[in-house]
Amino acid sequence: MQSSEQEEDLRLLRESARTLFDRAGGSGRSRKLRDAGGEFDPDMVRELGEAGVFGVAVPEEQGGLGMGLAAGGVIAEEVGRVIAPEPVVATIGLGLGLLRRLCPEHPKLEQLIGGEASLAVAWQERGPGGASADATCRYADGKLTGGKAWVVGAGGTQDFLVVAEADGGPVLVLAEASADGLVTTRRAQADGSSLGELSFSGTPAAELACGAAVQGALSEAVADATALAAAELVGLSQRAFEITLDYIKTREQFDKPIGSFQVIQHRAVDLNVMCEVAQAAVREVLMRMDGETDASIRARLASRAKARAVTAARKVTRDAIQLHGAVGYTDEFDIGLYLNRALVLSAWLGDDAYHRRIWFDAREEEGAAQ
Amino acid sequence: MTDWNAMSDAEFRKEVRGFLEAEYPEELRHLPHRPKFAEIEHWHRKLHTKGWVAPAWPAEYGGMGLNAAKLLIFYEEQQRWGVNRGRDMGVQMVGPLIIKFGTQKQKNYWLPRILSCEDIWCQGYSEPGAGSDLANLRTRAEIDGDDFVINGQKIWTTMAHDATHIFMLVRTDPDAPKKQQGISFVLAPMDQPGVEVRTITTLSGETEFCEVFFDNARTPRENLVGELNKGWTMAKALLSFERIFIGSPSLAQNALGQLESFARGRGAFDDPVFRDRFAQAALDVEDHAALYSRFADQLKRGETLGADVSMLKIWVTECFQRITELMIEAAGPDGGTVGPLQVGNVSVDVLASFYKARPTTIYGGSNEIQRNILSKAVLGLPD
Repeated sequence: MQSSEQEEDLRLLRESARTLFDRAGGSGRSRKLRDAGGEFDPDMVRELGEAGVFGVAVPEEQGGLGMGLAAGGVIAEEVGRVIAPEPVVATIGLGLGLLRRLCPEHPKLEQLIGGEASLAVAWQERGPGGASADATCRYADGKLTGGKAWVVGAGGTQDFLVVAEADGGPVLVLAEASADGLVTTRRAQADGSSLGELSFSGTPAAELACGAAVQGALSEAVADATALAAAELVGLSQRAFEITLDYIKTREQFDKPIGSFQVIQHRAVDLNVMCEVAQAAVREVLMRMDGETDASIRARLASRAKARAVTAARKVTRDAIQLHGAVGYTDEFDIGLYLNRALVLSAWLGDDAYHRRIWFDAREEEGAAQ
Repeated sequence: MTDWNAMSDAEFRKEVRGFLEAEYPEELRHLPHRPKFAEIEHWHRKLHTKGWVAPAWPAEYGGMGLNAAKLLIFYEEQQRWGVNRGRDMGVQMVGPLIIKFGTQKQKNYWLPRILSCEDIWCQGYSEPGAGSDLANLRTRAEIDGDDFVINGQKIWTTMAHDATHIFMLVRTDPDAPKKQQGISFVLAPMDQPGVEVRTITTLSGETEFCEVFFDNARTPRENLVGELNKGWTMAKALLSFERIFIGSPSLAQNALGQLESFARGRGAFDDPVFRDRFAQAALDVEDHAALYSRFADQLKRGETLGADVSMLKIWVTECFQRITELMIEAAGPDGGTVGPLQVGNVSVDVLASFYKARPTTIYGGSNEIQRNILSKAVLGLPD
């Protein structure tokens, strides 16, 4: 049970974030950006930075609000509700997660918190069946060689934070987006955003950190981002459900609102229950991650959250299309935007089947260790 | 008299756990069937001496006077240790109703007899034509001098064949404009010529349910609880706590524990498909517990629960069923075998678990009725 003081803080944070996104245009803003071919709005990033959104989970002594991942989850839920295209979760979880753990003195940290800089994190690599477990992207003599994949926010970023292999182990380096020998390919995503594929050939980059600490910080940051992505899916699912509920209350067939038919009502209830379970589970996970220092337990919690959130978002957004009927299949209705965003967020950092596997294996390992 | 509510939650939990672990008879842990009173009488005597028969009742009536937070802990510890609820219809259902709506004379007479189990109660609500549509009940009680004369039939009356008394909803005004009106709450003795009990054999071969037939059975008019024709509202008023209790994670958690040791013994985890289905079930249970805590916190803050608490029951009972189905799957060719299956030092009766899970989506308001309630009261969907 959270303290009532903390609960109140989170409630206020939720209110102000909701107001901020609604004033900016809600989900309509997301549609406009997509139609204009833009990935996200740099002005919005600055505004979010000024409002303190990015720094919620950064400790106060490092220039953040020190409210923990639970607060990050509040922000992520609100991002999900309006399907905001800005890489908020990637920034809070990955970018700031790495910088604050590995080089809190670096000026980028403050700039990123303030929304004055953009920084996309490149850490995954493509393997034969998906993400590769081994990094082959090399860093030597101040230069990067190799490739990275699935980079969120690659389209509009000034800099890349790259995790690469050096002779002494893993390193974290900073490369400018405009650096020599860097080719960025955008892979279009269902929601109008893109994921970047980076190819480095002797690209100059500055080393920020090296050694085992990099691996540790990366695992932690990925766990944070995974749990926050789950929270984003929770907000998204909740809003998609609300839109659908409104629709079935007003759409009439056979001279009655379709929401008066029992089969529709029971399906709506199942979606509602799914949303509530997901919200309770993901919020509990974020609270527990804030109080947990063991990295493997934090990772297991994050997997639990993502597994649940993806399962819920899949069910909710797909049933939402069905309950909308034919108009649900048109681009004109907003519900499709939610489906598309859910597809992208579900695939990013692992879907439910993947995370159940990770969760189960971690549970077995823990059981064997006891 | 101990003020349990003044204890910290942790202290209280320790106190309850200590007593249960020291005193609860090993052979009664996780009983697969509902016991007759004789089977658990020695445990009931211990509880009675300790003053712990009625945790929710106010202390002035011989209860523990626990607040919602402590009550949840008490039940959690009972379930954790596999403590049988005993014949608790009196304590859980009729006692609180008498405390809330009964006369002083009724309280003085009935409450001590409930605590001592001198009277053992069964609940006469459902009828052949009044299951999910309970307000459709037809059993009549007509006033005849100082008595009610009762005619009709109750069904699914749990353990009626081992009860001395029945509390029932009866129709006292057949001409009331709405069927929810004209229903009264009366108490009646079972041991009389006009009452006949027949047991119903269930799918699992148990006989815990009964039919009860009333043929000019009699009960004194003073056994009416509350006002005449107001029984429906009274019976509904008591359901708030019941509704979180019926959605508690424990049944599914215990079944999951059984499934895990059984599946491990059978080597079922070697199969990646089974592993994933187990993980799904385990996460379903864990995430349900998160939602349960949210409602429990609400109770602890002293708030009343809304209709949305029904979602706990829907989720956990359906999850419980899936877990027991996985047990059958893990049993492979033994999946239809009656009785305990031995795996290493674990013994699991997969069929008993499977059968036990079936009625959970039917009783306490079927899951379909729960969905109706949620769609109207929570989602505001139209008729």
